[in-house]
Amino acid sequence: MSQAVSIHVHDVHKSFITSRSGVASLKTLALWWRKPPKKVLSVLKGVSFDVHRGECLALVGRNGAGKSTLLSLIARIYKPNQGNIQVTGRLAPLLELGAGFHPDLTGVDNILFNAVVLGLSREEARSRMPAIIEFSELGEAVHQPVRTLSSGMLARLGFAIAVHVDADILLVDEVLSVGDYRFEEKCRNRIEEFRAQGGTIVLVSHSARTVQMFADRCIWLENGQVRDEGDPERVIQAYLGQGGV
Amino acid sequence: MRENLAALWRYRELLLSMVERELRVRYKNSALGFLWSFINPLVTTLVLSFVFGTLIGGGVKNFTAYVLVALLPYTFFQQSVLDSAQSVLGQLSVVKKVYFPREILPLSSILANFVNLLIGMGIFFVLLLIVYLRDPRVVPFQPTTVVLPYLLICSLLMATGIGLAVCALNTFYEDVKYIVSNLMYLLFFLSPITYLSEKVAYSDINQRSGGLVFQLYHLNPVAALSTAYRQCLLAPQGVMEDGVLQPPIPLDAKYYIYIGVFAVTVCIGGYALFNRLKWQFVERP
Repeated sequence: MSQAVSIHVHDVHKSFITSRSGVASLKTLALWWRKPPKKVLSVLKGVSFDVHRGECLALVGRNGAGKSTLLSLIARIYKPNQGNIQVTGRLAPLLELGAGFHPDLTGVDNILFNAVVLGLSREEARSRMPAIIEFSELGEAVHQPVRTLSSGMLARLGFAIAVHVDADILLVDEVLSVGDYRFEEKCRNRIEEFRAQGGTIVLVSHSARTVQMFADRCIWLENGQVRDEGDPERVIQAYLGQGGV
Repeated sequence: MRENLAALWRYRELLLSMVERELRVRYKNSALGFLWSFINPLVTTLVLSFVFGTLIGGGVKNFTAYVLVALLPYTFFQQSVLDSAQSVLGQLSVVKKVYFPREILPLSSILANFVNLLIGMGIFFVLLLIVYLRDPRVVPFQPTTVVLPYLLICSLLMATGIGLAVCALNTFYEDVKYIVSNLMYLLFFLSPITYLSEKVAYSDINQRSGGLVFQLYHLNPVAALSTAYRQCLLAPQGVMEDGVLQPPIPLDAKYYIYIGVFAVTVCIGGYALFNRLKWQFVERP
């Protein structure tokens, strides 16, 4: 694998067991002889691609095509059933609305905690604090328990943390349109800046506008396989032509 | 195992800040805050020593101290196992979003409880000092106190192993925590907390079995640990049996070794089980 490759995905398969009575209780374990047949949902069926350093790759596809699963696999939340994924550099997923925030702790405490979750030391996290607070535009509200914050504020806070942890790779799952228009603009600028510094981005979006604005390359996933790959303009057109969105 | 430990070491900062967060959140919305971590066992101790000492009458001097010294480690064990059982389920939203070694969640619950145990032990020594200062003829401190660090480490390893195993299983089968909390209740009475272990030694059933029951009783590692804590921190005391004062019975050295071997084995086993299951937590149907 060359230095120029940030993410290397090779022949990745992923399936999930979906039978409702899978392992939910001891009763099903005790009644093992009456176990219903396992239902297996195959989400990814042999996906391969590379993401180069400094590149922005967009994943498009219908609901259930496997985009988010792929993102989670890259983030090491799942292990592939087959194939392998190699990631070079530090990775930061853009957290969904408030995931990982503790409602009773103040914004400041949550910033410290989340920054450490994303790989900073506590000292580094403390030194980034002013920049994060400033970016999030929370002002004095940052000293209140986060349960008192609005969902827009939470999203801003999450974004502010993710872009301040010195990640090499950002994983973005449909969260670019947070807050009001002005903040969205600010996020876009920050992402541009991040890319200019050589950062890599993998983006999942349903918005053709977002994909065209950011992506260098686009992969169209369908039924767990790569249907098409290449210039975002062309792939998006093909995808939309198929009745996507 | 080696890889997992290396990953854990890389994330030590996260573990520390989780412990800090856990300690801070626990008493966040209460006026007395951190004090509760000691008031709770103290109140329990007073109630237990009143009932089992004064009311039923065991004839043990300073029974309160004997209860406290066994209750603190028991409470630590119980609380850390029950807390870690819920630790992954309670934070599934983070687990589904970000990678970090999953064992950090139960480990931080266990370590936060361990900090409470250490504080509890500290306050216990302050109480002993007060007893000593009020009457210098009573020397409540025992030379065997030097064994305390060993016992604390054993307690920590045991809670870690069982906590990790219970956490991994409870994430899949939520019945586990109910089973475990019932077992904890049983364990409380099967361990010398509300009575001295000498009571078991002088019981009819033990005398008839030729001492076998006493040995079996101490095969329960929590019972052996409770007796060991008492022995290393407090003066040995006999018990009244049929109106005759019977001498104290020291715990055999082999039980100290047994506790250590058990703790290490359970810790390694629990961690191995956790590592086998941890990748499936997020795929729970």
